[in-house]
Amino acid sequence: MITAGLGLKPQHYDEALTCDAEGLWFEVHPENYMSAGGPRLAALEAIRERRPLSLHGVGLSLAADADPDREHLAALKRLVDRFEPFVVSEHLAWSTHRGQHQPDLLPFPRTHAALARIAANVGRMQDALGRKVLIENPSLYLPLTGHDLDEVDFLKALVAQTGCGLLVDVNNVFVSASNLGYRAETYLDALPAEAIGEIHLAGHAPDEGGSDLLIDTHGAPVAEPVWTLYRRLIDRIGPRPTLIERDDDIPDFATLMAERDRAAAMLEPVLEKAHA
Amino acid sequence: MPELLDFQDAFVAALGGERSALSPWLAPDAGEAGLSVYRNTIAKGCVDALAANFPTVLSMVGEDWFRAAAALFAREAPPTGATLLDYGKDFPAWLERFPPAQDLPYLVGVAHLDRLWTEALFAAEAAALTAGALAALPPEALAETRLALHPSVRFAAFDAGLPSLWSSARAGHDGLELSDQAEALLCVRAHGAVRHRVIGEAETEFLRACREGQTTAQAAERVLTAHPAADLAPLFAGLIADGVFLDIDR
Ligand SMILES: [Fe+2]
Repeated sequence: MITAGLGLKPQHYDEALTCDAEGLWFEVHPENYMSAGGPRLAALEAIRERRPLSLHGVGLSLAADADPDREHLAALKRLVDRFEPFVVSEHLAWSTHRGQHQPDLLPFPRTHAALARIAANVGRMQDALGRKVLIENPSLYLPLTGHDLDEVDFLKALVAQTGCGLLVDVNNVFVSASNLGYRAETYLDALPAEAIGEIHLAGHAPDEGGSDLLIDTHGAPVAEPVWTLYRRLIDRIGPRPTLIERDDDIPDFATLMAERDRAAAMLEPVLEKAHA
Repeated sequence: MPELLDFQDAFVAALGGERSALSPWLAPDAGEAGLSVYRNTIAKGCVDALAANFPTVLSMVGEDWFRAAAALFAREAPPTGATLLDYGKDFPAWLERFPPAQDLPYLVGVAHLDRLWTEALFAAEAAALTAGALAALPPEALAETRLALHPSVRFAAFDAGLPSLWSSARAGHDGLELSDQAEALLCVRAHGAVRHRVIGEAETEFLRACREGQTTAQAAERVLTAHPAADLAPLFAGLIADGVFLDIDR
């Protein structure tokens, strides 16, 4: 049974290997393992022998107006073949542009043309990997005009056209809703339950630059309103593998496990109900 | 309706300060803050990657100096791929031209050595030649063998004691002094973790000969010609123990 998992960090390799929590799994960014060799790959291999693994891509740039980078896709395929993850995911965002890479998840106007391009890119990714992938909703900071579809309809169309699934980041929904002024509950309630294959929970912070924006920092514990939204989501759709994402200001393993255990405990009654 | 690529062009121009390029797509309530968030996240991603790959440079110049320099470098030479593991190949050369680094004469060399260490860390796996496997070779076969270097082997020679200075800084010591003794640094990852050690001119010469595809006998002769006092047996045993040679096909 796969319940709640943790983003795996190199400083926690030893504890991740020996931890005996039931249902625990790990997620990594494949970009951090795209090397010819090295101790990180060896550590991941050892952990994978004991735990399910998810590969969560941050750099394929599916929302760029360009084909996914062939070398990147080939490197991803090698990792998928080697580590046999139970989930492979990417973002509804772009980061590459004319040969340069901006290490961030950038927004775009959700036009019909963008949908056609991104659906083609998701299709290329799935074809190259020979499997279904999950696409994650981004955190948004800039109100754009020119959208033909709202984000939920865009994601639904992507699912319908490519057969991909969705990774719902509840913190991203909370952050985007706050930044762009819509209701997070309305957004979550409209997502197609059957398409959702994974849930992310992470922490955010107010903008240090002094604006009203919330920043998806992955540098703090999951906020209470995000836990509340999570409760609402799993009560509606049922249990899903749920990840605590932490990428900055990383505490010790036990602190992260406490958050992970909270998600696992919330999943438990939902799991029982689903199996009743 | 303009296409996605037009939007990307405009967005990147706006990130670079040309906000008006993006105005066709900006909602009336779009403030400057949103773009700044993206700008800061991108800069942080690049700077964090450089900090991870140049820890000795960072320890010498301090957090503020490093992050300011790294942000400037990232603007001039953004990553070309999504994997930031080896970002910063050109950072040492860039530091050489960076005016504020001119007061820190050994910084470029230190950056170069950090880079060697990182390359060794992510190089391909391969079995290293062991002393046991070597002992099984008849002596005349050893002399004629061309020993290939392990894929993780990196070394660089300096006409001063930069490798010792780098090693001390890497180990967290301060009060660093630069000797005028010529030295080289060897990094290799044949047994799990990267190992590094300061080596002399004779060992460096031996490694160079092997890298150029010479036989063991030719390499030994080359070392002894340049350094007649070199003691070859312990030199060779040391390199074997480090795992610098690729296992031989038998
Ligand atoms: Fe996420």
